[in-house]
Amino acid sequence: MHFRLGIPIAAVVLPLAAHHSFEAEYDFNKSVKVTGVVSKMEWMNPHPHFYVDVKDADGKVTHWNMELGAIPVLLKQGWRKDSLKQGDTVTVEGYAAKDGTKAMANARRVLLPDGRQVFGGSSAPVRDGQ
Amino acid sequence: MRALGASLLLAVAAYAQADLSGVWVVSGNPDITGDLPYTAEAMKVWQEHKANLRDKDPATYCLPNGVVRVTTLPYKIVQTAKLVVILSEGNTHSFRRLFLDGRGHQHVEEVEPDSWTGHSIAKWEGDTLVVDTIGFNDRAWLDSTGKPHSDALHVTERFRRASPSRLEVEYTLEDSKFLTKPFKFTRVFALAPGRELQEQFCTDLNHLIPEKR
Amino acid sequence: MNVRRRLTYILSAAAAALLLLSTGYAQDNGKAGKLKEIIPPGRQAPRPLGPTGPTGVVPRAADGKPDLSGLWNGQRALPGQEGPVMRPWAETLTKERTENYSAEDPEAHCLPGGVPRAIPYHHQIVQTPNLVLILFEGNIHTFRQIFLDRKEHLKNIEPRWYGDSIGHWDGDTLVVDTVGFNDKFWFDMAGHPHTNQLHVIEKYHRRDFGNMEIEVTIDDPETYVKPWITKREASLETAIEMTEYVCNENNSDVLHLVGK
Repeated sequence: MHFRLGIPIAAVVLPLAAHHSFEAEYDFNKSVKVTGVVSKMEWMNPHPHFYVDVKDADGKVTHWNMELGAIPVLLKQGWRKDSLKQGDTVTVEGYAAKDGTKAMANARRVLLPDGRQVFGGSSAPVRDGQ
Repeated sequence: MRALGASLLLAVAAYAQADLSGVWVVSGNPDITGDLPYTAEAMKVWQEHKANLRDKDPATYCLPNGVVRVTTLPYKIVQTAKLVVILSEGNTHSFRRLFLDGRGHQHVEEVEPDSWTGHSIAKWEGDTLVVDTIGFNDRAWLDSTGKPHSDALHVTERFRRASPSRLEVEYTLEDSKFLTKPFKFTRVFALAPGRELQEQFCTDLNHLIPEKR
Repeated sequence: MNVRRRLTYILSAAAAALLLLSTGYAQDNGKAGKLKEIIPPGRQAPRPLGPTGPTGVVPRAADGKPDLSGLWNGQRALPGQEGPVMRPWAETLTKERTENYSAEDPEAHCLPGGVPRAIPYHHQIVQTPNLVLILFEGNIHTFRQIFLDRKEHLKNIEPRWYGDSIGHWDGDTLVVDTVGFNDKFWFDMAGHPHTNQLHVIEKYHRRDFGNMEIEVTIDDPETYVKPWITKREASLETAIEMTEYVCNENNSDVLHLVGK
């Protein structure tokens, strides 16, 4: 079945990835942007998590835990289990965990190795210009 | 008995050779009896499970049983022309969908390569519903003794209503990583007339959620 | 941030992401699994109003009734509807839950969403003459049974997350009546509460092949001064199958949920 370009299949008007409220886990005021190498993808419910090794100027590596939206939401956007592979270099923009856990964020946007910028299925509120 | 059988057939003649609908409870031991032809690696995994049954059992954590392991709580089969649904009162109070609409396993290839309960497609062979399931992860147990399987598990179930109150399911297990050859066994389920599924959620441990008023 | 503003943000995010979804499916029918590039806000077309599922004739079951069977996207509330009128205890509790960022939402702990929580995952309706099933992809992968061959509710049952549902046809509308609830689930992420005297009426009407209209009445006089009626819609899913959403297989969120 084919659909005409530009007509949404389901213009859903409700929260994405609504398993939990964004504000309870992540801080909208703590933006994060890191570049690193994917070490693992946990494609599991309720939210896939992928892990990124980020090296700082001194060569120290931090293992970031990035949360994606719920799988049903991601699938509709074209994400699959193997969309990110171990060894891929990515840039992730998102919001840090609220409870102070270091190196944990909700991934809003991911810049892939081939230059495409994709949405992480995040339920974060939208800022101007995003 | 013959009259009952005939009217049963007439009633469902429109779309199937048999009607599996009803609430069913497993007869006898729900665990697999007999020796699975395990590889050495599989035996090792089984030993690890057996050494620490309760801690390692996914059911302890309210995780799915998959399609081979069953509970002693009832199952309800709801049958339509293109879809058979199996509802489970116990374990995760969830459902299986057996697709009779001629689809293949594209969902496994393109969308969901592994899940606890796999992807089931089915067809009728006379009065027997033959169900083919692949797309498993390796996390479920085949029974409560901790028998493992790999993600290469391939299950064929043959459902046959041998009499109005007896459902026989013949299982064939194939697993290219864990079994040296196919393994068959049969389970019997008894009809539980007048019994309806009750609601129970394994994850509903009252003390975890504070109730405020 | 108040609930309304948060909802606006969430709606905008949803709209943005779903326009992304639409262009993706227009091109590859969901098969290729290729991630689609984000479209900057300036280039997005406005979200259309009204039903969005495929049009076509409503299928009929063998008994002549409309057939509601199908794989449906999550129900979504129509915009611009009246909110509930709550009793003071309920207002206080809802405010508390919202201000606490819904950290204690049972749904976030992989507990059932109850009835009639609108959940943004697929649900499959399977209709037979005497029984209608609703199979949920999420919030948890479970089911409801709606009994069409019973006119009376069960007596003396333990309070349930999904209650006891009986249904009947009123013309082309399936009317579902449910009582027998526990008081543990939230109606939404804002945390609207209820008592175990809750009585829910849902009216399902398949408008055309790809669009369902649902009218929901929440009747709980101890919580809501008058019945809280909302209208929703759902569209048929045509590109993808539902997944097995095992909510609790890796619920690490629960360790990090922080209230106020």
